[in-house]
Amino acid sequence: MEHLLEVHDLTIHFFLKSGTVKAVNDVSFSLGAGETLGLVGETGAGKTTTALGIMGLVQCPPGKVLDGEILFNGKNLRTMDSKELRTIRGNQISMIFQDPMTSLNPIDTIGDQIAEVIRLHSDASSEEIRKKAEEMLELVGIDKTRYCDYPHQFSGGMKQRVVIAIALACNPKLLIADEPTTALDVTIQAQVLDLMNDLKKKFNTSMILITHDLGVVAEVCDKVAIMYSGEIVESGSLEQVFDHPLHPYTQGLFSSIPSLTRKVHRLTPIKGMMPDPICLPEGCKFAERCPKASPACSQTPPVYEIEPAHCVRCTLYKTDAEEKSK
Amino acid sequence: MKMQKTNRKASQFGRILSRLCQNKAAVFGMVILLVLLFCSIFAGVIAPYDYAAQDLASRFQGPSLSHFFGTDNLGRDIFSRVIYGARISLIVGLSSVCLAAFLGIILGALSGYYGNVCDNIIMRAMDILLAIPNLLLAISIAATLGNGIGNLILAIGIGSAPGYARIVRASILSLKDQEFIEATRSVGGNDFQIIFHHILPNCLAPIIVQMTLGVATAILSTASLSFIGLGIAPPTPEWGSMLSAGRQFIRDAWYVVTFPGLAIMITIFGLNMFGDGLRDALDPKLKN
Amino acid sequence: MKALLQVEHLKKYFKTPKGTLHAVDDVSFSINQGEILGVVGESGCGKSTLGRTILHLTEATAGKIIFDDEDITVVKGRHLKELRRQMQMIFQDPYASLDPRKSVRETVEEPLNLYHLYPNRVERAAYVDKLMDTVGLTQRMGTCYPHELDGGRRQRAGIARALALNPRFIVCDEPVSALDVSIQAQILNLMQDLQEERGLTYLFITHDLSVVKHLATHILVMYLGHVVEYAQADELFENPLHPYTQALLSAVPVADIHAQRNRILLQGELSSPIDPKPGCRFAVRCLQSKETCFGNSPILREVRPEHFVSCGSCV
Repeated sequence: MEHLLEVHDLTIHFFLKSGTVKAVNDVSFSLGAGETLGLVGETGAGKTTTALGIMGLVQCPPGKVLDGEILFNGKNLRTMDSKELRTIRGNQISMIFQDPMTSLNPIDTIGDQIAEVIRLHSDASSEEIRKKAEEMLELVGIDKTRYCDYPHQFSGGMKQRVVIAIALACNPKLLIADEPTTALDVTIQAQVLDLMNDLKKKFNTSMILITHDLGVVAEVCDKVAIMYSGEIVESGSLEQVFDHPLHPYTQGLFSSIPSLTRKVHRLTPIKGMMPDPICLPEGCKFAERCPKASPACSQTPPVYEIEPAHCVRCTLYKTDAEEKSK
Repeated sequence: MKMQKTNRKASQFGRILSRLCQNKAAVFGMVILLVLLFCSIFAGVIAPYDYAAQDLASRFQGPSLSHFFGTDNLGRDIFSRVIYGARISLIVGLSSVCLAAFLGIILGALSGYYGNVCDNIIMRAMDILLAIPNLLLAISIAATLGNGIGNLILAIGIGSAPGYARIVRASILSLKDQEFIEATRSVGGNDFQIIFHHILPNCLAPIIVQMTLGVATAILSTASLSFIGLGIAPPTPEWGSMLSAGRQFIRDAWYVVTFPGLAIMITIFGLNMFGDGLRDALDPKLKN
Repeated sequence: MKALLQVEHLKKYFKTPKGTLHAVDDVSFSINQGEILGVVGESGCGKSTLGRTILHLTEATAGKIIFDDEDITVVKGRHLKELRRQMQMIFQDPYASLDPRKSVRETVEEPLNLYHLYPNRVERAAYVDKLMDTVGLTQRMGTCYPHELDGGRRQRAGIARALALNPRFIVCDEPVSALDVSIQAQILNLMQDLQEERGLTYLFITHDLSVVKHLATHILVMYLGHVVEYAQADELFENPLHPYTQALLSAVPVADIHAQRNRILLQGELSSPIDPKPGCRFAVRCLQSKETCFGNSPILREVRPEHFVSCGSCV
C-alpha cells in the first residue's frame, strides 16, 4: 500500500562550536491518507526538528539533514529544489506551530493572513480569495465579520483557531501540528481538539500531532511513535502502544503520569534525565535510566517488529523477534 | 567550597575575556587603552622632556630625532606634552564616567523601582538635562564653577548622568516583575537588598558598555571645553587646549595641532571599538 | 484538627486603565495543619493572585487572612518579616525564579543571610548541604548557575530555598507545569515526601486536575475570581456538582483509550474580569444556566457534607 508520507532513516545534526547536536537519528515512520500519527516525546527528544526536517525548514547552517528519504506521494522531498518545495508548503503540507501568540503577524488582519496563503497557491481573483478566507473562518467557528480584526483582539484559543484556518486554507493532504494545544487552557483545548477532529474527518487530512501529552494522543491519534533522544523507540497503533507498551521508556512514561481515573499513592518516575544531545552515549540512549538495562544495551539496538506494525527498539525483544522470524 | 566558587566566577570572567579576544577590533581598542594607561602612569619615565620646559631657542622645530613630534610656539616638546596629556584625559575620562554612573545608577534605581511620582520627578529632571546639548551643559556648568580639573569632572559627569539613569531604569523595569525578585521578597528581602544584590548585578552589562563609550565622549568633551578656554588651564598639557593654542600656527607649523589631534582621534576610535566588543562579549544570548 | 490558615471574604482588585480588574472576588476557605488544598482553575481565575495575596507579595483589597489564629491581613515591617519565616512559596517558572547571577548555593543561602541564621560559617554550610541533599541536589550542583541546570534541578533549588527557613506553610504556584512529564513525577514525589516528613501544609495551585487528584486532600475550584466548588478531593472527583467542575473534569485528556468519557464542551470564551456585571460569571458558557443565573450572584452553600457549591441552577 502506498503511504501518503514515508520517512526513512532521517538523520539531522546541528554543528555548533561547542559540539555536534545529534538531534534526529535514523527516524523512520509512515502515514497513510486520513491517518493521524502522534509523535510523542519530552523536551529535546527531536520531535520538532523531525517536523521541520520534513518541511525542509531546518536552518542550514548550523543544521544539516545528513541522511534519509522523505517520500511524499511517492516523491522524495529531499531531492526537490526550493522552488518546488515552496509550492508544496502551505499547499499540500501545512504546519501549525506551538505558540499561537507569536505565530500570527500582529500587524496584519487575520482575514488577510488566511488570504495570503490562498493567494500564494492559487490564481483565483481577490473576491474569490476573500470569500474562501471567510469560509475558513466560519469553518473554525469564528464569525466572518471578524475578518478585519487583528490578532491581539483575540484570545489564545481563538488565535489557535485562526492558525488552524490558515493551515487548512489550501486543503493540504498533510498537517503537521506542533503541540497545538499546549499553551491553551484545558476547556479551550477540548474545543480545539474537537474542531481538529471534525476538520480532519471532513477533509480526510492526514496529521502528525507532536505532543508530550499522552492524554491528547489518546483522544486524537490512530498511530503513535515514541521519541527519545532523537530516535523512535516504539511505534504502533494506538491500541498496541497504549494497551501493551513494550519499551521501558514508554512503560515509564505511563507510570509517571498522575491519572484522573486510577488512584495511586505514589508515582513511579523515571530516574535521571535525557542525555545531552551533544554527547550521546554509545549504544541504547535510554540504558542509563532503564530499570531493565543489561550489558547487551551497550550496542545500539535495531528495530524489532513484535506484532504487525508494532515496532520497538530494545534488546529485550531480540529473542522474541528471532522466534517470530523462524 | 570557597575555591570552587572563585573558580566558577573566574571561569565566567575567562569566558568573557576569550570572547573579547576573538574580536580583532576590540583587541585593537584594548591595546590603545593599555598604551594610554601606560603613558599616564609612566609619563615621568617615558617623556624625554618636562611638559612645561620652555626652550625659546628651539621654537617651531619640525619632527626630528630629538623632538619626535617637534616643538610648539614656546619650544616645549610636543611628544612629552602629548604623553602627559594622556594622563589628564584618562583622569578626567574615568572620573567623570564614574561620577555619572554613580549618580545615574542611584537616580535610575529609585525611579525604576518605586515608580509613580518619584519616577516622574526624576525622569522629567533627566529629560531637562538631556534636552540641553551635552556640550552646552558642560560649558554652562564649567563657566559657573570656574576652571580646574575638579570642576571639569563635575561638569561632564553631571551632563552624562541621565544616560545611565535611563539604562538602569529600563533594566529595573524589565527585572522588577521577574519571579526571582518576588522570590527574594518572599524569603524576607527588603527593597535595598533587592536593588543592590539582585537587580543591579543583572543590569551591569549595559552599564559597563556605556561607561567604556562614556570615557571616549568625556575625553572629547574635555578637549572641546579646553579648546574654548574652559577646563584645564595652561601650562598643564591637555590635548584639546593644545589644539586650541596651536590653531593659529596650523599653516606654518602643522605638527603643533596634528599630533594632539591624532592622539584624540586614535584614543576615541580605540575606546569605541573596545566598547562595542565588550557589549558583544557580555551579551548573554551569545553565551553559546 | 486545627485550622492553620483561614481566609475570609478575601478580595483583590487591580486598577487598570480599562476599569477595575476583579482578580480575587470574595474567596473564603480554611486549611488544617498538615493538609494539602489544591486550588484549581484556568487562566484568569485568580488562583495565582490568591496565593500571592496570602503571602503578602501583594496587598489584599478587602477581607481577612488568619494564620495560626492571628489576623495577618495587615502586617508590615518586622512583623511581616517574622511571618515570612513561616510562609514560603515555590514558583512556577524554574527559569525565572532563580537569580541568573547567583549560584544555587548562594540562592539557597540567601534566606539564612537575610535572617542572620547560622552565623557560624561552618554550621551554615552544613545546613545548606543538608537542604540540598534533602531535595536531591549534589554538592557539585551547588556551585552551578541556573543556566547550567535543567528545569527539574532548578525547581529543586527553588524548593530548597523555600525550605531554608523551615516554614510551616508553603504556597506552590504551579510548581511542575513547566517541567517534562518524567521530571514532573520526580518533583511531585519529592514534594509529597517533604510534606509527609515535615508535616507541611500546602496550598497547591495548578490547572492540572490529575496532579491535584494525586496529591490534594481538599480541592477548591475557581472561576474568574470566585470559588465555584470546594470539597474533599475524592468527593469532588466522584461527585462534581458545579457545571464548570463537570466540564473541567470531562475536558482533561486521559491517557486511557478505554475510558468512557462524557465530553461536556463549553461554548464561547471567558468573560472579562474587568468591572464584571452582577450574576453568575459562568452563566454565559454554562449549559445548565437559567434566567435567574444572569441576575443573581450565587452564594457558596454546603450541599453535601463538607461539599460546598456556588451555583444557582444545580442546587
